[in-house]
Amino acid sequence: MIVGSQKPIEEIWEMVKDFKKILVFGCNTCVAICHAGGEKEAETIASMIRMRAAEEGRDILVDHMGVMRHCEPEYFDPVMDEVKKYDLVLSTACGVGVNFLSDRTGNIPVYPGINTSFYGAVPEPGIFEELCAGCGDCILHMTGGICPIARCSKTLMNGPCGGTNKGKCEISPDVDCAWYLIVERMKKLGTLEKLSEVLPPRNWSTSRDGGPRRISLEHIRAYEEQEEKKSETSGGKR
Amino acid sequence: MAPQETRTEETKPYGAEVKETRPYSPCRAACPAHTDVQAYVGLIAQGRYTEAFEVIRSVNPIASVCSMICHHPCEQACRRCAVDEPLAVRHLKRFAVEQSADYRRSKRKLIPQTKNKNIAIIGSGPSGLTAANDLAELGYGVAVYERHPVLGGMLASAIPAYRLPREMLQQDIDDVVAKGVEVRTNCEIGKDVHLEDLIKKHDAVLIATGLSQSRSLNIPGVEGPGVLLAIPFLEDVAFDRKPVIGNKVLVIGGGNVAIDVARTARRLGAANVSMVCLESAEEMPAWKWEVDEALEEDIAISHRWGPMAVRRKDGKVEGLEVVKVMSVFDADGRFNPSFDNNQTSFIEADTIIITIGQMTNFSFLKDSPVKIDGRGRIEWNPETQMSSAEGIFVSGEVVTGPGSAIAAVASGHRVAMAIHLYLKGKTIEGLPPEQEKEKIAQLPDSVVEKINREPRLKIRHIAPEVRCDTFMHFEIGYDEEEALREAGRCRGCGGGAVVDTKKCMACLTCQRICPYGAPVVTSVSEIRPEYCQACGLCAPECPGGAISMVNYDVREIRNSLKSVIGKMDPNRDKPVIAAFLCTHHVGVKGFDLPGNIRKVPVHCTSRVDIVDMLKAFECGADGVAVVRCDEGSCKYRGINHRVAARVGRAKQLIGMVGIGAGRIELLSVNSAAKDAYRTVCDGFSDRIKEIGLRTVRL
Repeated sequence: MIVGSQKPIEEIWEMVKDFKKILVFGCNTCVAICHAGGEKEAETIASMIRMRAAEEGRDILVDHMGVMRHCEPEYFDPVMDEVKKYDLVLSTACGVGVNFLSDRTGNIPVYPGINTSFYGAVPEPGIFEELCAGCGDCILHMTGGICPIARCSKTLMNGPCGGTNKGKCEISPDVDCAWYLIVERMKKLGTLEKLSEVLPPRNWSTSRDGGPRRISLEHIRAYEEQEEKKSETSGGKR
Repeated sequence: MAPQETRTEETKPYGAEVKETRPYSPCRAACPAHTDVQAYVGLIAQGRYTEAFEVIRSVNPIASVCSMICHHPCEQACRRCAVDEPLAVRHLKRFAVEQSADYRRSKRKLIPQTKNKNIAIIGSGPSGLTAANDLAELGYGVAVYERHPVLGGMLASAIPAYRLPREMLQQDIDDVVAKGVEVRTNCEIGKDVHLEDLIKKHDAVLIATGLSQSRSLNIPGVEGPGVLLAIPFLEDVAFDRKPVIGNKVLVIGGGNVAIDVARTARRLGAANVSMVCLESAEEMPAWKWEVDEALEEDIAISHRWGPMAVRRKDGKVEGLEVVKVMSVFDADGRFNPSFDNNQTSFIEADTIIITIGQMTNFSFLKDSPVKIDGRGRIEWNPETQMSSAEGIFVSGEVVTGPGSAIAAVASGHRVAMAIHLYLKGKTIEGLPPEQEKEKIAQLPDSVVEKINREPRLKIRHIAPEVRCDTFMHFEIGYDEEEALREAGRCRGCGGGAVVDTKKCMACLTCQRICPYGAPVVTSVSEIRPEYCQACGLCAPECPGGAISMVNYDVREIRNSLKSVIGKMDPNRDKPVIAAFLCTHHVGVKGFDLPGNIRKVPVHCTSRVDIVDMLKAFECGADGVAVVRCDEGSCKYRGINHRVAARVGRAKQLIGMVGIGAGRIELLSVNSAAKDAYRTVCDGFSDRIKEIGLRTVRL
């Protein structure tokens, strides 16, 4: 899931202080699970802004609301009329949600209420760990299920480097060395000899380096486009 | 269940709507009238006594009576039995009733007749009274006919005053009559008024005459002085007609009425009172606690003897010849006693009172359209509660056979609804009879282990040597502290957490933090009610705001914060403190705090959300105290670290806004100590004063 973390109230305040009617808009999926931007956190942020406004003697109306997801229009469409009554939407969704929503709110700005951090897992309550970087060309089968792109500080394809130290990374004794983990895991799996092969340099165009990514599923689109055409020829517009 | 139209907003506890759709707590399911026991015990625990009373009364118009004599199936069903002992529910009801005497008097009001239909009710026992109550509430004209000089049926004429003080019964009757019910006492149908006249004058008639006649025995010697029947005997006592009994009284029978008769004879001064019954001690139909109370009063019981003949000398009773009982029930479990004629005995007595059961008296139905079957019972349709005659209904023991007062109340509710629908041209047929309700399963062992053992607070009785001299009520009510302590034992079955599946995103938070293992998350979270202990820890933790509590949801409090905290006086000299106080214990009595401490009672501090603390500051509070019970007195386990973490986070947040982290504190008190709240709140108030009062424009 996508993991986010709240922005300091000071930063939020600087963003919002000149608006009169603010909606703090929560997203109840990924960012709710990491206690950053669900409806509950939206309510907390709204309360913080109101308090700050009161402290500064500013008259700002701040409400909150939440929908299941900000990244699919069907979830927020039903409340769009309500959303458009405000002059600022502070979305506590991930960056995807903020982008997606701001494409649809016309002249009402949508600002980010949280920092979108990474794709992560929840090993235990209150802990979120980055385990994938979304590089677009998965090699986990070659690295014992441990991703060196996301988990090695240098994103090395052939490790470990000289900075490995008793299983920890040189950047911090709190950070595991991903390549140490890979070696240990592959020993356990009995596939250590695979590591004797040198992995070739990667083609990073499947990752951010290839520009914005978009996936279009032909098999689904073909049907969708057919349906759209049908409704157009029958005089209606979907 | 009372007709829906009789339920007012006032009588609906918070969360009532949700509650109706869920399995009932076992106490509520066991009550024939489905009294929401868990809700009213919870309200008592919070010191909200009149609200507790309203919950009781919303389904039970004879609340005072039941607070004295109910056989409390709720207690037998209480899930605390698996931990230690059941809640003393009936006694708590008595406490709520006693605290609400003035309140209910002030609430009595005439309900104008809005429907152009009139109903005659024959009999004013629990069933007739309940039907009168419900039909009057619905706006019908109701007339109650009672052959005795007072209303109440058996409650007034047969239940001895030492068990049911008449002023308690009168409270219930006054409530019902105040609604505009016409009362015709000393009016026997068939003698003073004829049934056909009633039928002519009314749109519907209800026969709720109960089992008002004693059965007698067909044995030699039974006729003549010295042998009495239970009901006439009890009626004579009730109406002060001073029945003549000797010094050596023998009661035949082993039921609850037999116990009443024996204990009454003892109170009339008989030096020697004993009972004889067919059954063994285990088989006796009387409630065990009543038998125990009789034994305390020196009433001897001879088990497994059957009456053979009353022996008389010169017409005077000498005693009862009895024969040994071999078995009371046959192989099919039916009452069919067998005797060993070779074993006989003789019990000396100068007075014998026969208490072997009651029957109906249908002499007034002679020549009426109401048919009686071959076994002397009214022909009726249990679905519609109508007799064979159109518009003539039946309810209570007349048709159900011997039962409890509260079962008769349930029957009265149903017949009132049946009559109401009938008069609207509809029928109750096919509507579920409300008797069977799905209930929450027993406490799982894993939960039992996590519940502190806390024995039930004993109900005190006046000593037998004192109480036998008088018809004074023998049981001593709880004082406030006792009631709060006992009510605090309730585990809140059925009042716990529910998930809004539209909001749940299956994040596992609830499953991870619940100390009792109640939530199971699959595609959404399901909180298993048999595990849930209603602490409320999960609700504020849910990141989607998908969990709410059936009873006393904290949002109820959040919405009232503004009015609780009130308007800030810019010239105040004392800091205004919002204090979230755990209410579920004796400490409620210590809530008499100085005015600058604004009380926010919560069921448990685990229900206080970070947003609640922030909201208090938004409303202008100078400080926020979250006052929880200390480790020794908290009724839940495994919640304090979460409460502490929330307070810590709230401190961080208000620190960020510049209000100052020091303005929130988590305080803990021993909840059994009444004054502890004041001490900790005053101390906190002093610390906030040092930090200074906030100057914020609101």
